[in-house]
Amino acid sequence: MPSATDAETSEAHVYLPDFCAAGTILIVLLVAELVSIVLTLAAHTPPGTFLTELAKMSLYVLWLALLSCAVLCKARTWVERSGKMRAFLLLFFLLEVLCLLLAEVAYQLTEYFGQSVIIDDTHVGFLFRNFAISSIVIALAMRYLYVSSEWRRSIVLEAQARISALQALIRPHFLFNSMNTIASLVRAAPEKAEQAVEDLSDLLRANLRNAHNRTTLEDEFEVAAIYQRIEKLRLGDRLDVHWDTGDLPPDALIPSLTIQPLLENAIYHGIEQLPDGGEVVIDGQRDGDRLRISISNPKVANRSRADGNRMALDNVRQRFELAYSANSEVRVSDNEKRYCVELLFPYEARE
Amino acid sequence: MKVLIVDDEQPARERLKFLVSENDSLTVIGEASNGEQALRLTSELQPDVVLLDIRMPGMNGIETARHMDRFDEPPAIIFTTAYDEYAIDAFDAHAIGYVLKPVRRERLEHALKQASRLARNSLQQLGESGELATQRSHVCARIGTELKLIPVADILYFQADQKYVRVRHGHGDNLIDDSLKFLEGEFSDSFVRIHRSVLVSIHHIEALEKDQDGQARVRLRGDSEEDRESLLVSRRHLADVRRRIKGR
Repeated sequence: MPSATDAETSEAHVYLPDFCAAGTILIVLLVAELVSIVLTLAAHTPPGTFLTELAKMSLYVLWLALLSCAVLCKARTWVERSGKMRAFLLLFFLLEVLCLLLAEVAYQLTEYFGQSVIIDDTHVGFLFRNFAISSIVIALAMRYLYVSSEWRRSIVLEAQARISALQALIRPHFLFNSMNTIASLVRAAPEKAEQAVEDLSDLLRANLRNAHNRTTLEDEFEVAAIYQRIEKLRLGDRLDVHWDTGDLPPDALIPSLTIQPLLENAIYHGIEQLPDGGEVVIDGQRDGDRLRISISNPKVANRSRADGNRMALDNVRQRFELAYSANSEVRVSDNEKRYCVELLFPYEARE
Repeated sequence: MKVLIVDDEQPARERLKFLVSENDSLTVIGEASNGEQALRLTSELQPDVVLLDIRMPGMNGIETARHMDRFDEPPAIIFTTAYDEYAIDAFDAHAIGYVLKPVRRERLEHALKQASRLARNSLQQLGESGELATQRSHVCARIGTELKLIPVADILYFQADQKYVRVRHGHGDNLIDDSLKFLEGEFSDSFVRIHRSVLVSIHHIEALEKDQDGQARVRLRGDSEEDRESLLVSRRHLADVRRRIKGR
């Protein structure tokens, strides 16, 4: 799946700032200086020696900060190639090693030069203090980077969802075909025409509703059923939809307009392409606090190329990701006979 | 004028039937719900005009029209469509008649008036180049006045035979009008030229082998003994055949 890897790589570049850029280095130095001040303030300095102590501390911390920047600058692209969690662990490890190395060098230097700077600690004790302090600072910095990257990502996702919600508005093909059906029914079966107009209005209204909201399964199924009724007028005996969703709690929340577009896809790419039609199966199961809904349709025989746009599916995927992040899954299985989309998401009841 | 209505949706056919029947100079002589049926009825009933839906299961409207256009006396064709941006641009470019669904009475009448002035061959061009270039799903053989549609998936090979091309398929063989060169271009992704006069379906090749005389031959796979033919591969095409078999 090229699209997924594209998304991952473009996303990967978001979560670490560019440590080669002057702006970032300046911020790192500023933070490092603030840390030096905190450390010096917290230490027991004899009266009158605060500034000298601060200078020594700054020398050490800024040195460390600059080296870290240099390492991060080089390591960034390499680290970002691995997953987010691993990248952070890798960085933590890298910086920790750097810090301990530097501490060791500093210790050896003071041993060598003696007088001017005296480390008032044992060798191990000094290294341990360095390790502890740097761990905390690095962990805090990483937490900050992680949160801000998540925040940026959710903004991007939301914007995408907003755009594709607009795109997901009823397929023009469907709209005009329905109008044609209604035009035909007006004379032949006025009551059916009347109902079709009402159904179409309800469907359009549901489409115009804010696509960000979540709705109950009951309402979402109702929208899909209305859609099914309109298509049934047009396709007649060719369309059969088998609903097996009694197992699902009707008050469960689901991102709105997710079932109907998938049913539309199943009909547009499956049923409509088959001279004798076929059966769409909508199946739902509850497993504790997990819900599973699958929508499957028969496929057109010996047609190798998939002649569909994946817009509806991408849209559903995005909306699920936005609503549940990693806690949901949209699976597609595609064998010779049937095409199936499966939605797995947590059960959250409407209050 | 005799009109044939082709649409896979019953309400759509009803509406067209009603609109056409309002005009005294027009008679609906039949309706079809798919491309194959439409071709059969056209050959049988000789309509003057065919109202043809584009999006149909199986053989779509564009392909159906291409087959119709090869008849001795092809009917005028007016496409009907709910929404096909690309198709409509192409129709305009090639001066091909169409009406949009829901169909307006005046628009239909206008299209019917224009229908007789339809430029010949534009349908062929439409199918062969540009936005609507599609491979046919069937080739069409004429046996006297009978019409036979052969699914491309069933075809073992095409063989040039003087004026005609013989199509060897799972249920025997037939003659068609298309030239081998044309077929080679259209089905280039699933057929390979093995000889000056033979074009073979790659998926039906079982093996490439040498006979006692050292000549390369392809052995075809088939359900029956007589389908498992062996065909001569000319030296000129050998490398290409080998490459295509490997790449399938």
